[in-house]
Amino acid sequence: MASLRVAVIVKMEPDFSEGNVSYNSDGTLNRAETKNILGPHSAIACRAAFYTKVIYGAEIYVATMGPPIADSALQQAQLISNADNLYLFSDRIFAGADTLATAEVLKTGINMIQEQGKKVDIVFSGHRASDGETGQTGPQTAWKLGYTFLGNVISYYVDIENRKIRAKRLISLQGFYDIIEEVEALLPVFITVDPLYKANYDTITQRLAFMKHRKEASKKAQDYKQYLNVLNAQQLGVDPKLVGLPGSPTIVYKVEKIPKAKPTRRATMVDGSDRGQIVELATKINQVLSGAVVE
Amino acid sequence: MENYDVAIIGGGSAGLAALQHLSSLGKQAVLIEAAKTVGSKNISGGILYSKKPKNGKVFNVEDVYGEQFFHDAPVERLITKYILHTTSRDKLYSIDLTSAHKYQANFGYSVLLNSLNSWFAQIANESAEKQGGGIVPGVHVSNILFDEGKTVIETDELKEFGVKAIIAADGVNSEVADLTGARQKFSPEELYQGVKVVVKLPEDIINERFEISSEEGAAHLFAGDVTLGHIGGGFVYTNRGTVSVGAVYHYDSLMSHPTEPHELVDALLDNHLVREFIKDEVPIKEELGHGLSKEEQLKIRFGASKLLKTWDDLRTEFYSVRGRRNLIETGKYKSEQEIKARLDTIYHDLNTKYGIKFSTDYVELEYSAKLVPDGKRCRMKRPFLKNILFIGDAAGRGIFIGPRIEGLNVGIDDAVRAANAVSRSIERNNFSSDYMGEFYTKSVEESPYTRDMREIDKDYLKIFLDAAKGVPKDIIGSRYGTIIRLMSSGTLRGLAVGFANMLGYDRLLPLVESEETYVQVPTELAERLGRLVSATYTPKIMSISQRIANLQYDDDSVSHIRIIDSKSDFMKKMVVLCPTKCYSSENDEVTLQHEGCIECGTCARETQWKHPRGEKGIAYRYG
Amino acid sequence: MANAFTDKGNSPQTIKAEINSGDVSRDKYLHTYVIVEHEDGKPLPVSLEMLGEARRLVDNFNDKYSSKEKVVALVLGSGVRNLCEELPFYGADAVIYAESQELKNSINLIDTKVIADIAKDKGPIREISPDDSNDFIRPRYMFFAADNIGRQLSSTVMAELESGLASDINKLIIEDLEIKHEHKTKGKPIVYEKTLEMYRPDFSGFLWTTILCLDNKNPAIQRDYHPQACSIIPGVFSPLSRDTSRKGIIINYVPKISEEDVAKVKVLDRTAITSSIDFDKHKCVVSFGRGIKDSPEDNTRLVLKLAEVLDAEVGVTLPISKRPFNVGESIGSKYFVPDRVIGTSGRKVNPLLYIAIGISGAVQHLAGMKESEFVISINTDEYSQIRDESDIFVKGSLEEILPVLIEEIREQRAKMIMRVKE
Repeated sequence: MASLRVAVIVKMEPDFSEGNVSYNSDGTLNRAETKNILGPHSAIACRAAFYTKVIYGAEIYVATMGPPIADSALQQAQLISNADNLYLFSDRIFAGADTLATAEVLKTGINMIQEQGKKVDIVFSGHRASDGETGQTGPQTAWKLGYTFLGNVISYYVDIENRKIRAKRLISLQGFYDIIEEVEALLPVFITVDPLYKANYDTITQRLAFMKHRKEASKKAQDYKQYLNVLNAQQLGVDPKLVGLPGSPTIVYKVEKIPKAKPTRRATMVDGSDRGQIVELATKINQVLSGAVVE
Repeated sequence: MENYDVAIIGGGSAGLAALQHLSSLGKQAVLIEAAKTVGSKNISGGILYSKKPKNGKVFNVEDVYGEQFFHDAPVERLITKYILHTTSRDKLYSIDLTSAHKYQANFGYSVLLNSLNSWFAQIANESAEKQGGGIVPGVHVSNILFDEGKTVIETDELKEFGVKAIIAADGVNSEVADLTGARQKFSPEELYQGVKVVVKLPEDIINERFEISSEEGAAHLFAGDVTLGHIGGGFVYTNRGTVSVGAVYHYDSLMSHPTEPHELVDALLDNHLVREFIKDEVPIKEELGHGLSKEEQLKIRFGASKLLKTWDDLRTEFYSVRGRRNLIETGKYKSEQEIKARLDTIYHDLNTKYGIKFSTDYVELEYSAKLVPDGKRCRMKRPFLKNILFIGDAAGRGIFIGPRIEGLNVGIDDAVRAANAVSRSIERNNFSSDYMGEFYTKSVEESPYTRDMREIDKDYLKIFLDAAKGVPKDIIGSRYGTIIRLMSSGTLRGLAVGFANMLGYDRLLPLVESEETYVQVPTELAERLGRLVSATYTPKIMSISQRIANLQYDDDSVSHIRIIDSKSDFMKKMVVLCPTKCYSSENDEVTLQHEGCIECGTCARETQWKHPRGEKGIAYRYG
Repeated sequence: MANAFTDKGNSPQTIKAEINSGDVSRDKYLHTYVIVEHEDGKPLPVSLEMLGEARRLVDNFNDKYSSKEKVVALVLGSGVRNLCEELPFYGADAVIYAESQELKNSINLIDTKVIADIAKDKGPIREISPDDSNDFIRPRYMFFAADNIGRQLSSTVMAELESGLASDINKLIIEDLEIKHEHKTKGKPIVYEKTLEMYRPDFSGFLWTTILCLDNKNPAIQRDYHPQACSIIPGVFSPLSRDTSRKGIIINYVPKISEEDVAKVKVLDRTAITSSIDFDKHKCVVSFGRGIKDSPEDNTRLVLKLAEVLDAEVGVTLPISKRPFNVGESIGSKYFVPDRVIGTSGRKVNPLLYIAIGISGAVQHLAGMKESEFVISINTDEYSQIRDESDIFVKGSLEEILPVLIEEIREQRAKMIMRVKE
C-alpha cells in the first residue's frame, strides 16, 4: 500500500533537436512538421517523481493539459516515472490558454484526483518548458491548490512518518553568487525540479529497486492506454470563463523578428607580427570595453 | 553495510554470462558495471563463435542463454563465407578459408556488442532478480578490501558493501587485477591493438555487394601491404545494415615502429576492394546558406538536416526486406513503388531546395579501439586471487592463432566455469583459495580453449596448408620451406607438431608471428598471383578529429589517467599509438592533452590508469 | 529604445468604443511597483536595473498623460531600512518595506502573501499619493526580476492577485492600443489606454513576442486584469547612476504573517557557493587553451597579465582543466581547474568582450562563448575553427603579441586618463 501519493505535471513540447525541428519561412516553428516529445524539463520532473516510487513505493499520477496527441507525452512520462495513472485534460476550450488559465485546469484536475479520496502529497513539475512557457505554470498551479511551493529543487527526501519533506534548492542570485538552501516543509508541497536535480540512489538495494521499477515502467508504458484517463472540461467541471482564451489575462499581441540578431561573424584578420596592427587592436579593445559603438 | 553473496565486476559478455549462469543455479549475484547502460563501453572485433571441440567440452552462448538466443538475440549475420585476401597495392590474391572458419564450430555470428550485450543483460537481469540480485549499471569499483574474513567493495557512487566472492570480468585493463595485485599489467608483446570503424550500408546493398542473402554473412580478412609493415591484419565483417572494418596488430610490432592506429584502418578503407565493398550514395555536406545571417543559416541547416534524416531513415528501411514490409504493413505506404517515389521526391527536394549534391563515398558511423590479450602469452596460469576469480579478457584469456581471433566465446566459457566454482562454494560456504580458486583453475585448465592457447592444433594447421597448396613454394620462402615440407605429409606433420609443442609455443611464436608471415609473404603473393582490382572512387576518409567529435562522451571532470614519467620512451610512443591522440609531446615531455579518451588502455602500462567514474567517459552506440 | 512612445492608438480618427477603461482605470490602478531583491542588505543588480527602467517609463508616462504616477519599490526582509534609504537614489519615489524575522529568507509562501497584501492595500497610497487613496485598488504595473526567486514569486503573486504576467522581458513600451479580440473585446475594436507592451525573446532566439495583459471588456466575461506584471531579464536595462539629490518617501509596512504559514516551511540552512570565479561580473573574459603549450607557465602568466589589465575573468578550455602541462601549483590549482571551463561541459558566458588565446575552437568550447558581444582570437593557425566565431582574428604567436598588446592597452588608457584630467 502506498503511503505516499505523488503527481507530476508534464508538458508536450516540440523536439528542438537538429534533424527533428522544422521552421516556417517566417522563422516561426512549423508545429505540424516538428515531432512532439515530452519536454526535457518535464522528463526531469518525472525522474524526480520516480525517486518516490523507488524509495517510498509511492503511487504516481501524471497529468498534462493538451490536445489528444499529448497522450504520447504521458506515455514517455510513464516510461520514466513508472506512473500508475495517467491523466490527459483535453478540450478545445482549453486552447490558447496562458499560464493562469492553464494553472486553473491543472488545479481542477488535481483536485479531482484528490476528490476520489486520494490526497496528493507532492506535486512535481518541470522548472520551465522549452517552447515558450515560462516557468509560471508550476508555481501558479501550486498557489491555486494551496500547496507550499518549493522551486529549483535539486534533491530531496521525504520523512513519511512526520509528513515532512526536506529539500535542497539551488538559487542563483545573479550578480552575487549561487545559494544552496535546505528547507523543511510540511506536506503537501509543490516542487519544481531544477535541471541540476540529481537523485541519489546510493546502495545496491536502491539501485536494484531502481532497475526493477524501470523495467516495470517500460512494461506499463507499452500498454499506457490502459492507465490513461482523458477528461474534458465538463468532466473536470471547470468554469469555462476561467480557462482557455476567455480565462487568460494575457494575449500575444504580435510576433516579430528580433532586429538585432547577430549576423554571422566575419573575422577581420590582424597580422600579429605587425606592431601597427596590434596598436589598432589595443584601441579597439579599449573602445569595446568603454561601451563605444561597435560596428 | 549491505551484504550480497557474489559481485561480478564488469558487464561485458563474460560478466553477463557469469550472472546468467549463477542465477540459473539459484545463486544471488549482483553485477556492477561502470557504463551508464550495459553494453555501451564494450567493443569487439565482431564474431561470436559457438564451438564443438573434438576433445573436451566448452560452454557456449546458447548453453548459457538457451534456445531464446537463436530466436531473440540481436546478432547481426550468420557468417557463411570466410575469405583471406593478400594485398599489394591494387592487386589482390584471395584464398577461401571458410573451412577454417567452420572448423569445430557450431556457428559464428557477426555481432555489435552494444545491442548484443544489452540483450544479454536483459535476460541475465531477469534471472538474477529472481535470486535477489541483478545488474547495477553506472557504478565504478574503486577499491576492494579484505577485512577480517570479509570482502568489502568500495565504489565511487555507492555505500560500500560486503560480498563472499567476486568474479572479475572487467576486461583487459582489469582494475580488479590492478587493485589486488593479482597480476601484472600486460606488456606490449602480450597484446594486440584493434581499431575498428562501423560503416553504414543498407542491408540489400550488402547482400548484393557481398553476394550473400539476408540469412548469410561474409568475413573478409586482409594481409599484405595493407598492414603497413606491421604484424597483424585487417577485416571486413558484414553486419545487418552496417559493415565492421577493422585492423588488429601486435602491440609489440607497433612499439618497434609506431604507426598511428587510425592509419592502419585508413589503409584498409583505402584498399580498392574495401572501397568497393563499402561505397554508397552519400550527400555532400557543404556549408549551407553561406553569407546569410546566422539565423537564416541555422534555419536552412535545420531544414536540411530534417529532410536528410527522413531520406536516410526511409532509404535504410527501403533497402531491407523487413523494413519494406514494415512500412507497408503499418500502412505508411501502399507499395514499394510508393516508397521509391517518396525517396525520389525527397532526393529531388534536397537537391533543388537546399542544393545538396550526392556523390559516391562511404559513411562512417563509429570509430573504436580496444586491446586484445593474446592468451598464448598472457593468460593467467592461476586466474584467481583469494576469493576473486578472473574471467575472459581480465584473465588475459583470448585465442590468437593466425586469423583465428576469439575472445567472446572464451569469456563465456570462463564465466560458466567461474560461476560453477562460486556456486559450489556457496553451497559449502567455503570461499578459500584451496576450495574455490583451485577448483576454478582446474576447470579452466581443462577447457579446450586453454589447450588452444597452449599447443598447436595440427588439424587446424592442415586447413591452411591445404588452402595454400596452389601457392608457389619459393614465395613461402626459405624460412618456412622445411616446415611446409614437414607438414605436408600426414605422419611427419604429427611428429613435427608434437616436437613443436614439446619445444613450447612460446619459443615458436616469434618464428610464426613475424613480418614475413603477415607482410612479406602475402604481399609477394598478391604481387605475383593477384588480380587487379580498381575502385571507382576515392573515399573521403574521416579525419581522426572528426571521428573523435562523432563519439559520445560524458566527460569526467576528474582525470582518470595520470602520467607517471612524462619522459619515458613508452610515453613518447603513446603520442603516436594512442588511437584518439590524447597525448602530445612538448619540449621532450609527454602531456595528456584532451578529453577524447576511449578507455582502450593502450597507455595503461606506464600510467596510473583507471576507468572514469560511473556513467562517465565513452559511450559507444555500436560497439 | 525602451521609452519609445507613438501616438498610434491616440490618433483622433480612432473612434473610442463605448466601454472604455481609460476613465475608470485612471484612479483604480496606480503606480509601478518594483519588487526589489537583495542579499545581505545589498540590492541585486537587476533590482536597480528595474528601478531605472521604471523611472524612465513612468517619467514618460507622466509627461504623456499629465499625471503624477510613482515608482514604488517593495522591499521585504529583516534589517532592510538602510537599503530602503538607498533606493530613492536609484529612481524610487517611494519605498514600502516590510520588516520581519520571517522575511529574512525568501520563502515563497510568506513573501507572496505579504506582497499581495501590500499591492491591495490603500494604506501606503495615503502617503504616496493621498488624493488617490480612496480609489486605489491595485498597482497599475508590477515588475519582478526574471531570476529564480523573482520568476516564482511573480507567478504566485499574480495567481493571488488573479492577473496576467509575462516573463523574461527585455523591452517595455507603454502605449494606447486599439485591440480587436474575439474574447477580450468580443471582436469589437476597443482602445486600451496605458497598456504595457511586454517584449520577450522567443525560445528560438530569432523572434520577439509582445505580450499584453488586458482587461476583459466583453460583457460575457467582463473582468479586470490589473496589475499588468512582468519579470525582467537581469542585465538588460541600465540602472540610473546613484544620485543622492533624488528624494523618496519610505513607508514601513507591518506585515501580517500567520503562524500556520511559518510552520509550513523552515529554512534549515543556506550556503552560498562562493566561487572567486564570476564570469557575469566582468565585462571581459580572457580564455586560453592548449596554445600556451610552448612555455605553459610563462604563457599563462602573460594571459593573466592581460586579464588583469582588462579587469577580465579568466576562462579555460576543457583540456586545460585536466592540467595537461606541468605548471607551478600556484597557477595550476587556481587556473587549470574545471570551474573555469567555458563550453558545453562548463560555463556559458556572454561578456562584452571575449578574448580567446591559443584556442583552436572545438565545437564544445564555441558553444560556451559564441553569445559574446565581441570576440577577438589570437592563434597561430589561421584556419582554426575559432576564426569563424571571431570578430577579429589575430594570426601569430601569443608570446609575441601579448606583451605588445598589454603595453599598448596600458599606454592608451593612461593617455585617456590624462586627457580626461586636462
